[in-house]
Amino acid sequence: MVKLYINNKEVQVEAASTLLDAIVRAGFKVPTLCYLKDMFNEATCRVCIVELSGGRLVPSCSYPASEGLRVLTDSERVLKYRRAIVEMILASHKIKCQSCSMKGGYCQLLKLSKEFGVEGIPVCAECPLYGSECLLNLGIACLGPVTIAGCDAICTKERSPCIGCRGPASPDDVLEEGIKTFIKYKINIDEVVGISELFWGSNPLTQTIRKLFTNLHEGGRV
Amino acid sequence: MAEWTLMDRCCDKCWHTVEYPCKHFIRCTVEGPLCHESAECRVKRKRRIEELKYGKYGIKIKVPISSCTLAAGAKEVYDAVSKEVLSSGLNADITISGCMGLCYLDPWIELSKKGLPTAIYVNVKPGDVPKILKEYLSGDLSNAFALRADPEGIYKNYKVPLLNDLTLWSNQVRFVSRGCGVLNPESIEDYIISNGFRGLDKILNMHPKNVIEFVKKSGLRGRGGAGFPTWMKWEIAQSQVSDIKYFIVNADEGDPGAFMNRLLAESDPYRVIEGMIIGAYAVGASKGYIFVRAEKPLMADRLSKAVEEIRKYGLLGRNILGSGFSFDIEVILSAGAFVCGEETALISAIEGRTRPRQRPPYPATRGLWDKPTVINNVETVAHVATVFQVGVEEFTKYGTEKSKGTKMFCVTGCVSRTGAYEVPIGMSLSKLVYDLAGGPPDGKKVKAVQIGGPSGGCVPSNLLNTPVDYESLQSAGAIMGSGGVVVIDEDSCMVDVAKFFTSFTLAESCGKCFTCRVGMKLLYDILKNITEGKGSEEDLELLNELSDVIIGSSLCALGGTAPNPIKSTLRYFRDEYVAHIKDRKCPAKVCPNLVEYWIDPAKCVGCGLCVKACPTNFITGERGKPHSIDPSKCIRCSQCFITCPQGAVIKR
Repeated sequence: MVKLYINNKEVQVEAASTLLDAIVRAGFKVPTLCYLKDMFNEATCRVCIVELSGGRLVPSCSYPASEGLRVLTDSERVLKYRRAIVEMILASHKIKCQSCSMKGGYCQLLKLSKEFGVEGIPVCAECPLYGSECLLNLGIACLGPVTIAGCDAICTKERSPCIGCRGPASPDDVLEEGIKTFIKYKINIDEVVGISELFWGSNPLTQTIRKLFTNLHEGGRV
Repeated sequence: MAEWTLMDRCCDKCWHTVEYPCKHFIRCTVEGPLCHESAECRVKRKRRIEELKYGKYGIKIKVPISSCTLAAGAKEVYDAVSKEVLSSGLNADITISGCMGLCYLDPWIELSKKGLPTAIYVNVKPGDVPKILKEYLSGDLSNAFALRADPEGIYKNYKVPLLNDLTLWSNQVRFVSRGCGVLNPESIEDYIISNGFRGLDKILNMHPKNVIEFVKKSGLRGRGGAGFPTWMKWEIAQSQVSDIKYFIVNADEGDPGAFMNRLLAESDPYRVIEGMIIGAYAVGASKGYIFVRAEKPLMADRLSKAVEEIRKYGLLGRNILGSGFSFDIEVILSAGAFVCGEETALISAIEGRTRPRQRPPYPATRGLWDKPTVINNVETVAHVATVFQVGVEEFTKYGTEKSKGTKMFCVTGCVSRTGAYEVPIGMSLSKLVYDLAGGPPDGKKVKAVQIGGPSGGCVPSNLLNTPVDYESLQSAGAIMGSGGVVVIDEDSCMVDVAKFFTSFTLAESCGKCFTCRVGMKLLYDILKNITEGKGSEEDLELLNELSDVIIGSSLCALGGTAPNPIKSTLRYFRDEYVAHIKDRKCPAKVCPNLVEYWIDPAKCVGCGLCVKACPTNFITGERGKPHSIDPSKCIRCSQCFITCPQGAVIKR
């Protein structure tokens, strides 16, 4: 058994365990993406990083627990870096939540982006969590494809369309993907822009949406 | 029957065989015979040593054959020398040698004759060979570049400088590279008469712990980059309990601009292997690997030949010289991925996979096939061999308080004397760049010096008095790395330099961890935008923050150091970044999108060459009258700039 300190809380774990085991034993949480206990601990996603007392950042899923180690799981630096890593992952991730086979319920990326407030995942990713029917399919102008996720899709759960209260999912490719969805379901773009003006009125993105819409229509890329 | 060599028995009284070796074998080859007294045998050995030193007939011609000299045409020179010797009926020995590190002089030849000082002729063309030979043999040395040190003092009669008196040589300390350019890299005899294998001879009578103690006393630190004390690595591996341990030499040199490991292993392979055997003895390893780049075939070839040769004489294999210590070496070719220079990736590559893994556990406790493994760099093991040969005092004489000894640096880029120089650690950068490498040609100014390859950083010209040691370079924002020094002059754009190194690491990233794979791509995209004039001011802050995240949270050392060029250029050359972003101008006039081509009417003679060169036909003008370029349609290919004989096309 080795004794170590997680956020100044003393915890004892078996000698061959990892920092993550110790963190869980101590009752703290660290997000993980690529880690699968006893199956995969190659530390490739880096979101489970924690700070050691010397200031070194190490992935908790594969770093061995050793005697007297002092670990911080949510220091300012850790949170800042972790957020940057989630941003990086999202930057390289094709956001096609409407057609993703994972469906929102299992999407770990969604959870992480929600936790760190990283923009980029639309409300559509959350809808399937609650088995809600897609309102776009019924011809209702719902802003789900272009709005930031994180609200647990509370409106669509009640069969009321999303009105974009959390703001636009800002990266252009996400907006583009969303607008393609509107076109696919034959939703009137003027209606969409009209609803969006309620919350995004002063946001230049409403204009972007309109521009993207005309571009896509005229360019025949749909 | 093959010629008698020093490695053979002198007479029937000698009972040494590979199966039942004599433990004095190494010393006996040169000082022998030791077990019996025989004037005849002694003379036989002495005569052979003489022969090796001066040639059978008193005339010896050395032609360096290594990758760098071959590229400069040494093979043709070698052929010309053999042809000339054959056709003139001259009794001379032609031998090959390694590279002495002065690349700008390649190909060179060294001539020696009894009664004449040994002379070096440089930049030899195959056609010059007959003339050079005739001149030298008749005693006219006026065209020689330099003379080797000559104990008899006869060089004073000639008006040619001694090599030791030239600044590029006298400022060097040839410690580990002492055999480079002197010894025949394919002859074990040549190595053994120049104090070779004496380190091995010494340690086989020592306890492994004392060997490590000896290295500790020398204060040798790893020459691969991080500068981890060698003895500490060995001690950790030595203290592990395991049925088998491995000793790996990392000869996978991939930094652009660094070639000292190739030079050492090609010019003096026996030294590398001797150091390896010493290391293996100290940690108790029984199997060794040399991990060589397949792109350096001569290096792999020379090392494999040397291993075979050493094995043949029983200095490698089972029960080395009756000491009970067994060790064997295998040369492994790498596929040439930059990331394989990283310890854990190298281990993966030998196991048949390709990616680094998270440390700890460190290789010294769990490495190749989960067994304790020591990985040292070529230069480090060559240092080990030399330290054991000549003693600790000779080594600790040089260097600084924290890092002892010498280090090889490859100075390339805008310098007039490109080459590999071995200097004491702690020498100032300016001395390295100006005194040894000769500074930039045609009087240009040095803007920065890039040290440590793609993981290193740029040191600006006002910090050139920084001493080259691990700590000082680190605080200046660079790293020692393997020792590649790229001199950058005023004509280079620092943003472009950062972009180049980023594109290199981006391409070489193995793609295992997110931060390096995605982060480097993001960094590259931002830099590309800046050089194309699309940057914004927030980009600088973003570059800095992103670099910090990548350095702080990457899996291996590649990601952990890859943003260094960006960080150091941002630190010292921020004004250039700002000029790109704010003024949309490239101060060094390198980035094509930020440069405008303009024809100076005062200089233009209207010859029309630029019109012919222009691929888009947007240069107009009548013959004999000044031409002009349509700036809105110019594609900035710079063809007119290159073609103009008058220098009338100007970048602005």
